[in-house]
Amino acid sequence: MNYNNEHFEPVITPNVTVPGCETLAFYLEKENGYKALEKALKMKPAEVVEEVKKSNLRGRGGAGFPTGMKWSFMPSNPVDANGNPKPKYLVCNADEGEPGTFKDRLIFTKTPHRMIEGMIIGGHAIGSNKGFVYIRGEWHKEIRLMQKALDDAYAKGFLGKNIFGSGFDFDLVIYKGAGAYICGEETALLNSLEGKRGEPRLKPPFPAQVGAYGMPSCVNNVETFAAVPYIIDKGWERYAKMGPERSGGTRLICVSGHVHKPGVYELPMNLTINEIIEIAGGTKGGRLKAVIPGGASAPMLRADECDVKTDYDSLMKAGTMAGSGGLIVMNDTVNIVEATYTLLKFYEHESCGQCSQCREGSHWLARMFKRILDGGGTHDDLDYISKICANMAGQTICAFADAVTGPALSSVRKFRGEFEELVTRGGLKGIGRHESVSHKLAGAHV
Amino acid sequence: MSNPTIEIKKPKEDLNYTSGLRPVHSDSNPDAKPLPKITIDGKQFEFKPGDTIMQVTERYKLHEEIPRYCYHPGMPIAGTCRMCTVEVEKAPKLMTSCSTPAADGMVVHTKSEKVMKSRTGVMDFLLTNHPLDCPVCDKAGECKLQDYNFEYGPSKSNFKEEKRVFENATTKVLSDKVTLNMNRCVHCERCVRFTDDVTKTNDLVMVNRGWHKELDVADERGLHNDYQGCLTDFCPVGALTWNDFRFQKRSWFLDKKASICDRCSKGCNIEVHSDKDIVYRYVPVFNELVNGHWMCDEGRSSFQDLMNPKRVISPLLNHNGSLTATSLATVLAEVKKSAAAASSVQLIVGTDATREEAALLKDKSSLAFGRSVTVHFHNGFIRSSGEDKKLDALLRMADKTPNTRGVEEAGLTPLANGEVSADIVILFRNGRAGTPKLSANQKVILWGVWTLDEVKALPTTNVLALIPGLATIEKEGSFKNADGIVQKFHPAIEHRGGAVSAHQVIGLLTANK
Repeated sequence: MNYNNEHFEPVITPNVTVPGCETLAFYLEKENGYKALEKALKMKPAEVVEEVKKSNLRGRGGAGFPTGMKWSFMPSNPVDANGNPKPKYLVCNADEGEPGTFKDRLIFTKTPHRMIEGMIIGGHAIGSNKGFVYIRGEWHKEIRLMQKALDDAYAKGFLGKNIFGSGFDFDLVIYKGAGAYICGEETALLNSLEGKRGEPRLKPPFPAQVGAYGMPSCVNNVETFAAVPYIIDKGWERYAKMGPERSGGTRLICVSGHVHKPGVYELPMNLTINEIIEIAGGTKGGRLKAVIPGGASAPMLRADECDVKTDYDSLMKAGTMAGSGGLIVMNDTVNIVEATYTLLKFYEHESCGQCSQCREGSHWLARMFKRILDGGGTHDDLDYISKICANMAGQTICAFADAVTGPALSSVRKFRGEFEELVTRGGLKGIGRHESVSHKLAGAHV
Repeated sequence: MSNPTIEIKKPKEDLNYTSGLRPVHSDSNPDAKPLPKITIDGKQFEFKPGDTIMQVTERYKLHEEIPRYCYHPGMPIAGTCRMCTVEVEKAPKLMTSCSTPAADGMVVHTKSEKVMKSRTGVMDFLLTNHPLDCPVCDKAGECKLQDYNFEYGPSKSNFKEEKRVFENATTKVLSDKVTLNMNRCVHCERCVRFTDDVTKTNDLVMVNRGWHKELDVADERGLHNDYQGCLTDFCPVGALTWNDFRFQKRSWFLDKKASICDRCSKGCNIEVHSDKDIVYRYVPVFNELVNGHWMCDEGRSSFQDLMNPKRVISPLLNHNGSLTATSLATVLAEVKKSAAAASSVQLIVGTDATREEAALLKDKSSLAFGRSVTVHFHNGFIRSSGEDKKLDALLRMADKTPNTRGVEEAGLTPLANGEVSADIVILFRNGRAGTPKLSANQKVILWGVWTLDEVKALPTTNVLALIPGLATIEKEGSFKNADGIVQKFHPAIEHRGGAVSAHQVIGLLTANK
């Protein structure tokens, strides 16, 4: 398939369907593994940063911040108050928790060395000798596989002292999270890494100044690191050409929900959502009703809005976001209020509870949606949802509150009819849906 | 260098708003670089580089315009309550004034429509789960949730859901001093930061997440720091309450007067909260030279000694072996008669006497008693101020009397070996200093603040008389604290018993020829 893009080729997943693709031997023999690292170590760090900058690689964790720019923010020779040099840390954010996203897991299980190589190159670029892989605690198998990959890389000398005889040392250790969605936020992740409560920090100072253990740190997503070897190996031009003007390369899109072939697809960004759904086998069990394009936090799109390209800027223009690439497809059997309640329940549970608006607002919204589903809603409630969201968005330390308002606000704006139906007809029972998700959830909630 | 003299006065602001920061001015020297300027609500102010917007407002006393829950000038910044947000021109979002550094040329609006809307929003959220049990809450009347809601809150709430209830923490005893009601908590986490960064005892933590987030003690020692009362001072709502004060008095009935704590040689500035001259609590008053924002629990509870029903507030005279209440004139006449008949008389001044009392007793005792009286001082905890030391990094001192340095400065010397030698010993103390070693049938005259229990605990049964005196918060005077700072204070309550000041007693004795 050429996806109407002559420049496209898979960057991260060319061989993920081949058995044994996760081994170091496969990576070295079939995928030209660690050649990019050898090349990068012959370049000056600034040249590596420049290469990544020109490739237009943008952070794949959700915010889409240009990676090269992030690396260039790292101070070159940081010193403490006494003039002693400070270490710099490179952190891989593998706390993949965004509902509807499962791309990092694919990289960990199928091509872990690509990410490790990317991290070592990143370490060279920012002048760091120590990296952390922060993995969510639920990933038992993935942690095992990653540890195996690290051990193999150490055994071959790709990690450790004097890599490829260049004099560059790099150590990489795994840190297991304890299962909090908020620890995917980079400063909460750093707190958690230090053994503190996983709560986002006030910024400034940004991690590039004061990060892990008070040292300059750089946090990037798994997919971001996994794209780096390609850029160094094949050159920035080839990578940048695949994408539109301000975002280079490919994206891993996690298609889930009502499609015939759910899964992770590596795709160019010039495809529209409708085209991606076609690639994933088309909508299953009914007509397309709504799509969440970038993980649960992204405002949802109605079926008639899905003719939009999936690059960062186009989605932004459509009033949603590219986020982490979790594309959730919903067909017309889905009750939007119920679906949104499921998401709000998640956010209510995962708010760290620091900021007033987020702690109380996420709770309030979830309860309000529940009440509407149970038949206790009023028309005033529907107006008040937007008011609560307006009081939450952009008012807190991190973007969590904005994430909560994504589904809540877009659902009531775009599917107000369904809310009104529930209000006037007395909830889910009134419209004849007794076996509802929300009831099961309510029973499960302790 | 001469040490400063401070007059303790009732502060204009409450502790939430007091930082000790003062206005700064550019050097008048034309070559010097001028200080940066910030515009707040249309007025320009100079500030010190590194100040946050909140600190600039503190310098110029504009800060009461900015409501806050998590921010406290004595603690690190958290920036989580989002109540202090202000509008900064050219910034895309509202900024928390507590954490945003001021910059040259910055234009800040603290009362714009956007700001007020955001504050209303925060109040709306905070009140969703608050039980609104003000009628039975001890914080009512001095509660920031009440104050800010009056000023910024929505007039009505649209919250129709069931309120969050922490069933196990509705009345949770954290220690013998502090009780937690988690339902009232607004999660400002001042208490957690206080134990982390001020006392450094780390005894409080937040457990769970989001709207379940709950305050708890970190380990089996429970809440164990020595400054727990401060938690109840700065808790903006009624979540943490001081057991001594729970259900004792509605805060608006309290008469508030500044005074000094006499429980140790630090001399923390306090506010005495009383009603009808009955003290209900002490709270600290900010003094950056002495105690900062805090005071210890020992000092905070020390008013109990003065309010003790067994405190002797009537003159007593030994009548056939038992102490009997009588008039002051009778007691003084008998005291003078016994003193004249004795072969030697010693006056022991406790180091809890004020500087004025020490000087008076040293100079006027012989004249008053009509015979030679040797005057010494006695501390009971340490021999002299040189032995005083800090008990922790914050405030508490080993010397549990307030004026050892002041008494030494008055020219008094400590009692040799802590033993008395005279025929009759007059013990003058204000309820804090210890008593010297006495033999079993030593004749003593007690003077000052004594409780019946203390009198009974004396090794001697030969108490000739007791002259009741005024306690620190009932009189005027000054103390010199461990750091050499002289602090003057005025009466905070009026004494309602038969105790009289030392000056009056000396005057009466002198007149009684």
